[in-house]
Amino acid sequence: MKKIQIAIVGAGPAGLSLAIELSNMGYSDVVVFEREDEAGGTPRHCGHLGFGIFEFYRLLSGPNYAKKLVEIALSKNITIKLKHTLINIEKNNLTFSTTDGLETYSAQKTILALGARETPRPSRFVSGTRSPNIITTGALQRFVYMQKCAPFKNAVIIGSEVVSFSAIMSAKHAGIKIKAIIEEDENLNTFNILKPISELFLKTPVKVGYKVLSINGEEKNIQSVTISKNGIEEIIECDGVIFSGKFTPESAILQENFKDFNHTNNSVFVSQIFQTTSKNFFAVGNVLRGALTAFKCYFEGKKLARFIDDSLKNTKLNPLHVKIQCDENIQWYSPSLVDLNYPSKTLTNLRINKKATGKIIVSLNDNDVYSKDINVSTYTNIKIPRLDYPISKNDNVKIRLES
Amino acid sequence: MKYLDLNNMFPKKKLECSEDEIFDIAIIGAGVVGCGIFKEFCENGAKTVLVEKANDILEGASKGNSAILHTGFDAPPESLELECVKRGYSEYLKIKKKLNLPLLNTKALVVAWSDEQVEKLDGILKKGLNNGVKELELLTDKQIFEKEPNLSKNAKAALLVHGESLIDPWNSPLAYVKLGLQAGGKLAFSHEVTDGHFNGEFWEIKTSQKIIKAKTVINAAGLYGDIVDSIKGSKDFKIIPRKGQFIIFDKTAYNLINSIILPVPTKITKGVVITKTAFGNILVGPTAEDQESRDDSVTKEETIKMLLKKAYELLPDLQKHNITATFAGLRPASDKNHYRVKINDEKNWITVGGIRSTGLTSSLGLAKYVYELNDRKYEKKKKKASVIKIQNISEFQTRDYQDSDYGKIVCHCECVTQREIENALKGEASAGTIGGLKRRTRITMGRCQGFNCQAEVSEICEKSQS
Ligand SMILES: Cc1cc2nc3c(=O)[nH]c(=O)nc-3n(C[C@H](O)[C@H](O)[C@H](O)COP(=O)(O)OP(=O)(O)OC[C@H]3O[C@@H](n4cnc5c(N)ncnc54)[C@H](O)[C@@H]3O)c2cc1C
Ligand SMILES: Cc1cc2nc3c(=O)[nH]c(=O)nc-3n(C[C@H](O)[C@H](O)[C@H](O)COP(=O)(O)OP(=O)(O)OC[C@H]3O[C@@H](n4cnc5c(N)ncnc54)[C@H](O)[C@@H]3O)c2cc1C
Repeated sequence: MKKIQIAIVGAGPAGLSLAIELSNMGYSDVVVFEREDEAGGTPRHCGHLGFGIFEFYRLLSGPNYAKKLVEIALSKNITIKLKHTLINIEKNNLTFSTTDGLETYSAQKTILALGARETPRPSRFVSGTRSPNIITTGALQRFVYMQKCAPFKNAVIIGSEVVSFSAIMSAKHAGIKIKAIIEEDENLNTFNILKPISELFLKTPVKVGYKVLSINGEEKNIQSVTISKNGIEEIIECDGVIFSGKFTPESAILQENFKDFNHTNNSVFVSQIFQTTSKNFFAVGNVLRGALTAFKCYFEGKKLARFIDDSLKNTKLNPLHVKIQCDENIQWYSPSLVDLNYPSKTLTNLRINKKATGKIIVSLNDNDVYSKDINVSTYTNIKIPRLDYPISKNDNVKIRLES
Repeated sequence: MKYLDLNNMFPKKKLECSEDEIFDIAIIGAGVVGCGIFKEFCENGAKTVLVEKANDILEGASKGNSAILHTGFDAPPESLELECVKRGYSEYLKIKKKLNLPLLNTKALVVAWSDEQVEKLDGILKKGLNNGVKELELLTDKQIFEKEPNLSKNAKAALLVHGESLIDPWNSPLAYVKLGLQAGGKLAFSHEVTDGHFNGEFWEIKTSQKIIKAKTVINAAGLYGDIVDSIKGSKDFKIIPRKGQFIIFDKTAYNLINSIILPVPTKITKGVVITKTAFGNILVGPTAEDQESRDDSVTKEETIKMLLKKAYELLPDLQKHNITATFAGLRPASDKNHYRVKINDEKNWITVGGIRSTGLTSSLGLAKYVYELNDRKYEKKKKKASVIKIQNISEFQTRDYQDSDYGKIVCHCECVTQREIENALKGEASAGTIGGLKRRTRITMGRCQGFNCQAEVSEICEKSQS
């Protein structure tokens, strides 16, 4: 077993920015582990522009952004171990599958920066045929930007998050015609302005309020999708279907190894300093709650460095965690623990992913202590400020949406 | 940009043999039943060809099942099915170690959820004992929860069946084919049988590629069994495909149960099975829906949601776990409730049809039965020491990613290595379809369903062909 001071698992924007910041602070016993044969994380296959403005004051494509992060890390002599897949966590020991066989590292502090993925077709329950031509945006991007090929010619995109619109760009790049974007909700799951932009400039119809009834085909070849709105069915011919968005953390290994798992976020509970319920483990970036943009993950990673420093120096400081729980109307919230050792202006940030009018109410030991009126037509992030009431260790904080 | 047809990445396989080669045996259909028969005849020295319309094995009924190795405790008494299930079971135990095939003896609990069902358990026990399945035990609710603490507290009583086990439903038939090949058998994939003529001495079987000559034909065409059977001139049965839809839960749910949870069959409810799989998931299903179509294995939103509801009722903690996949399989059921195995001596034709819901278990037993039925001796060649080892992709045995020098992990969700993929693309029994590659390795079958690796895998396939 090898002993190291700091292990960072995942070489995406969050993990790399943390490693770089720790290096700036003078830490040298830091190892970044990455399962792919290249570091950089998800941006490596996001061939479109849209990265780097806030971090590097330049508009970069995903691959160039990833390259830049890796270059900085390597220039600081940060060790990045590629083709190291974390397969087990036990106490402070991390076991990796590597081509040299299984290897176990024992780290004083471990940071999990495992990222997120999109939700593929099965758990969306869409009826119909199975086919390799039913893919996610992430897979499309890899086909187009990494393998440089197009897996179909005419496709529909299901979902209407930012990533759904970036899928149009990837498709265009590959010469794939997008017949329509289809959204089941009455509103886009992103800025409404993207609908006219998409229809006017990209000539791609955006159909909101349509449910996908089935994917039709013969054998494994897709021929069309049937969609419906208000009982009226419509058939769109296509040979490919792209399921986009509905990001979910790459957190299965955490669910298997952490007793306390947050089913709202599909991730571990973390405090405002990104510490989990296991003292020596931290989590950062999209593994916490699905997708935020790369720069947010980058700055989260950067911010975390200070807290890692803190926890290495103040070994006596024990976390004082109060758990925050949310009802099913809340898609995700972060942080999900309050650490009473650290003052904070916000209690948590949460996302509602649907049309909602009513109140967000926070209760402390079942007494309502905060409420905020909301009237939102689409996905919204809401900041909940620090409570005006003192909280102590065994308190119970709950957040609900009342409409 | 280059267009990549994901459904046609593998060139059609060919049969290398001379025009006037006459095989002893032609088996039509490379489902699990055909694969088992192929092994048996090849090993007994018959010159055998396995004729299959798809470009790989297991593209029909055998591609989607619950992967349970049955004891036969609930099989129809004194039936051929029971005989073959028991024989198939013990044959599997005999060969599994040598071939590196997995088996997990989870045992099964037939759980009664109502008083009506409790009353039926005794009958099931008696039937099981009559069927020669000895290791059966009635359990009280308390005993159930000792074994299965996560099961809904509505469980009232259960029958414990010790022998029920899980296997890898895809690599075991592949192993049978490889054994057959080693003993000299031939494969004719992408050869759809369209017609045939028997000249009193041998059959001339018309296929989509070439004419294949064989002294005896064995029809193991599964879902198309009745259609293929009419080639011999008479039609003895009718296939009524019966669909079974499934849900596969994430590997995170694996430890929620220990045994296979079986329903008590009643007239009104069919109930669902909840079981682990060899690959570390939890499987819920299957439904039983009769239908006309022999290929339509689409899943339906309402049905999947119904299954889900049922699953949550029986095993509430499943709600905390994600769904990895949904799929459907088609059972080659027939208009009668039993196996349709028959020899036509005048025509040298053997029908092995209607192997509806136990074929995975029975195939090796059926194969022996069919060999005996054929009652002909072939010149057995000296047996070569078997060098066949199957790549283990089940979670019960060591996987390649736990070893070294495997290149890299390509599919992260299922930890599939580059070496595993390359091996699956090699040799006579190499993957001939993308589905075949998935069944050999499990690539893209995990929780991300290809978000991470589908593009790369497609490229590897494409390169392997050029
Ligand atoms: C299709 C798509 C389009 C996008 N477009 C944009 C955009 O235009 N602009 C933008 O700002 N953002 C975009 N994003 C989001 C952006 O990619 C993410 O915000 C960012 O990558 C998150 O950073 P991260 O470090 O948290 O995770 P990731 O970048 O996902 O990195 C996580 C890393 O951890 C590794 N890992 C996971 N599990 C293990 C393990 N067990 N062992 C070892 N390593 C492991 C992974 O291989 C990966 O390299 C897009 C995302 C997708 C999927
Ligand atoms: C939902 C479900 C759950 C099940 N669970 C279990 C279980 O837990 N345990 C168990 O033991 N069994 C189980 N089974 C049963 C088992 O899967 C079947 O009994 C078995 O797959 C039948 O195999 P087969 O070889 O007869 O048919 P098939 O697999 O259909 O094989 C027939 C083959 O013939 C080919 N073919 C057809 N027509 C032609 C032609 N004209 N020319 C050339 N080739 C042709 C087809 O392409 C096909 O490959 C289950 C089945 C289902 C559907």
